[in-house]
Amino acid sequence: MSHLYLSPRRLGGSAAVLTALAAALTLGAQTAAPPPKLPHPALTLKDAEGRNVLDSGRPISTRQTCGGDCHDYDFIANSFHFQQGKTEMDRTLLSSHGIPAFNSSPGMFGKFSIIPNRQLTHADITDPADADMSQPEWLTKCGGCHTGGGISEFDLKGRKFGTPEATPSGPLDPSYTIRDRATGKVMPWDWAKSGTAEADCFLCHVPKASRAARKKEYAAGNFRWADNATLADTGIVTAAADGTYKYNRDAFRPDGTVKAQLLDLSDPTLENCAQCHGFTARNTTNIQPIQHADILRGTEKAGWIYNGAKISDTESPKITGKEHMKYPWDAHAAQGLVCIDCHFSPNNPGRMIQEDERKNLRYKPGSLDPAVYLKRPDHNFARGNIPPETVNITRHNTMRGCGDCHEAEKGHAFLPYKSLHFQAMACQTCHIPAVHFWAYRSDDWGFLMDTGTSRITFRGIEGSIVDPESDITGYLPAYIPSPGKDGRMQIRPTNLITGVYWLDKTKGRPVFTWQVQQAFFQSLAEGDWQYRPEIVKAFGDKDGIVDIPQAVYDTPQKIALVRGLLQQYAGVADPELRIEVVPWAMSHSIAGKGQAVKECTACHARNSMLNRPLDLNTFLPKNVPVIFRGKQANVVNFEGTEPTFDNRALLGGFYVIGKSRSPFVEWTGWVAVAGALLFSLVHGGLRAWKGRA
Amino acid sequence: MKSTPLYSLHERVWHWLQAAAMILLILTGLAIHYPDRFGIVGSLANSIRIHAWLGAALILNAFLGAFYHLTAEKYHHFLPQMDDFTGAAVRQARFYLYGIFHGEHHPLDVDPKRKLNPLQKITYLALLNVLLPFQIVTGVLMWGADRWPRTFERVGGLWLLGPAHTLGAYLFLAFLIGHIYLATTGPTPLALIREMALGESERTESSAEIAE
Repeated sequence: MSHLYLSPRRLGGSAAVLTALAAALTLGAQTAAPPPKLPHPALTLKDAEGRNVLDSGRPISTRQTCGGDCHDYDFIANSFHFQQGKTEMDRTLLSSHGIPAFNSSPGMFGKFSIIPNRQLTHADITDPADADMSQPEWLTKCGGCHTGGGISEFDLKGRKFGTPEATPSGPLDPSYTIRDRATGKVMPWDWAKSGTAEADCFLCHVPKASRAARKKEYAAGNFRWADNATLADTGIVTAAADGTYKYNRDAFRPDGTVKAQLLDLSDPTLENCAQCHGFTARNTTNIQPIQHADILRGTEKAGWIYNGAKISDTESPKITGKEHMKYPWDAHAAQGLVCIDCHFSPNNPGRMIQEDERKNLRYKPGSLDPAVYLKRPDHNFARGNIPPETVNITRHNTMRGCGDCHEAEKGHAFLPYKSLHFQAMACQTCHIPAVHFWAYRSDDWGFLMDTGTSRITFRGIEGSIVDPESDITGYLPAYIPSPGKDGRMQIRPTNLITGVYWLDKTKGRPVFTWQVQQAFFQSLAEGDWQYRPEIVKAFGDKDGIVDIPQAVYDTPQKIALVRGLLQQYAGVADPELRIEVVPWAMSHSIAGKGQAVKECTACHARNSMLNRPLDLNTFLPKNVPVIFRGKQANVVNFEGTEPTFDNRALLGGFYVIGKSRSPFVEWTGWVAVAGALLFSLVHGGLRAWKGRA
Repeated sequence: MKSTPLYSLHERVWHWLQAAAMILLILTGLAIHYPDRFGIVGSLANSIRIHAWLGAALILNAFLGAFYHLTAEKYHHFLPQMDDFTGAAVRQARFYLYGIFHGEHHPLDVDPKRKLNPLQKITYLALLNVLLPFQIVTGVLMWGADRWPRTFERVGGLWLLGPAHTLGAYLFLAFLIGHIYLATTGPTPLALIREMALGESERTESSAEIAE
């Protein structure tokens, strides 16, 4: 749509061109073309010493290239996108948000997550048994997405790697060690060999950024060249066999600056965000949510697809019933909205929220100077609040909510009691009536598969998630109250991911994966997972094979057996098997008004969708503690063919007309009505009988 | 047999309007309480809107009725005397439970000055002074949930008002059933209903004479 911005002289004033322009404008209105961009000033790629990399051949330093005279590197790299919780390792902060103390931080760098069942090792450990995931291992596993700077430049005590003061505080210091998988021993990490990775500005600001190449370098422990790897698809660098990257002279101008069109520096595009956050595209009929050998987190957690194309036009994968879905995957994507429209930099003068309720202001005339923003753009991006997500916890609900763009009260003419509805329910409740994709269903670390890892199941798909021929049936979400922006509980559509794991009751934390592996397997070497004889005897068939259907804790004796193995082989004093049901509230895959729930009886009825049961995990053990939002709760219904989520207690705080019943009122009322009817019938009958007599 | 004027036009119009509003309120109330089973007026939203208009009509009619009975000095029909709670009430109850089956004469002969029997007076005392205001207050508060959200929440919100209003509705329904049935206990099953429709009593001469 760039021809919309041609100069009038070039248009020539001809009627034909004007007609074309009118047509283009009409088309532009329909497809919501992106606004024009001003080019970024010419850029010299510099190394850590500030020299042009063309001359030195050394890795690009974003501190020198993007920082220096232009942007405030340290200010930017101190934000959550780079620190991932490293600056929030504060026990008081954790306890004030109800986060268990076994987490190091509320962010991805420090919190325990059921999906990988891994835990960043605390900085002050003295027992090797307390070491799980060290800082270097975290970077090799998670660094592909998490954008460097902070976590890959500084140790847990805040010392910059490679400086004289950056030395391990002991043999278990998690910033300088890594657990060897085969031997189980905690070994030193060689930072001199791996190098460090500065904040990777390119990952988000270069449209052709390659997370795949970057991830490969992180996984190999080649942090030094990871930022260069991000540029692998731009033509600026080429990977060399020795793990370094060579610069292509053709990509540079004679003055040593890089050709602007190759970097194409810009605001983060949908595609940039999509690399890590979930399947996102402006308009595509080919949906591939598994990229770079891992699943996009936002999609896997709740099945959301941010895509402007119509579901009915999807070519791959196979969406069951798509012919009836002649509407977009996401109504906002179809309107051309990009991620940063809502998840903006909080101090961007063009997007920032200026309202100040305390001063009754909706606009502050003396707001921020754009030059200040360009120097120090806040990278703690505006975000919502998707319980139970704790990342960037001090900045929840900083984005514009639905009501900041939409005046819901002016629409919804069909809806009585609008305020009451909008107060009780998040907009998503009606505007995400169904999920048309698959999502995580369960991750069971209680019984390890013969691959040494957990048993994962998905909902909304018949077949394998990596098979494009699998039928994607989608699923209907559960409805769970979660705190809204004002702290009030609102009903939201939610996916439920059920985890099963062992808790070390003595230490008050989940049993580490390597410990569970020690209990289950004779050998911990990759590719040589042999179950212990005790496991085979208890769970195997007559041929000694443990098949998936048999890997079930269907008797207390089997739980006790594995508990004993954890004590015997992993040194876990008091392990306890637990179930945790984790709700993931949804905010994307928004349906427009044509597809949103409008039928009153969808909620206001005895068989209300609000109480619709959602299946959890076929293999859930019975009679073990069930944790929901950090507390033991009775939310699993084992009575049907499959365990399902029981949200009756959670929705108990909502009186839904047509659905909610007060037993006292119903009994008293109907007894009174029945009494009146009975009296009338008996009395009338007696009168008739006596009258005849 | 001779006709005796018993109910004025104002009283009859008030009564039948109130009856119609009440029946329709109960029906739309059932459609709201059981929207998936009693969708008699379309969607739940329609039921709520119609219910609210009917409620407004009932309140207006109740106000006009009260105004009429007060200004026409007819309110005394609804005021029980001490005896109405004791001896007269027992006699009336005995009649319903025994005498009516044995051909006994009604203990009270109605006349333009004394239209209600003791049990009716006690029932209407509770109905018009307790149950009806209770339903009006809880109904208006629910109707105004979007208009006066703080007041609505302060009195307990839907959690309190919903069940309370529903209980009141059940009691009204029970009253309605009993009322309609007892309306058939006149000299003929339709005699009392005819009285309220036409305003004239056609009871035995002796009864009328006694009343006079």
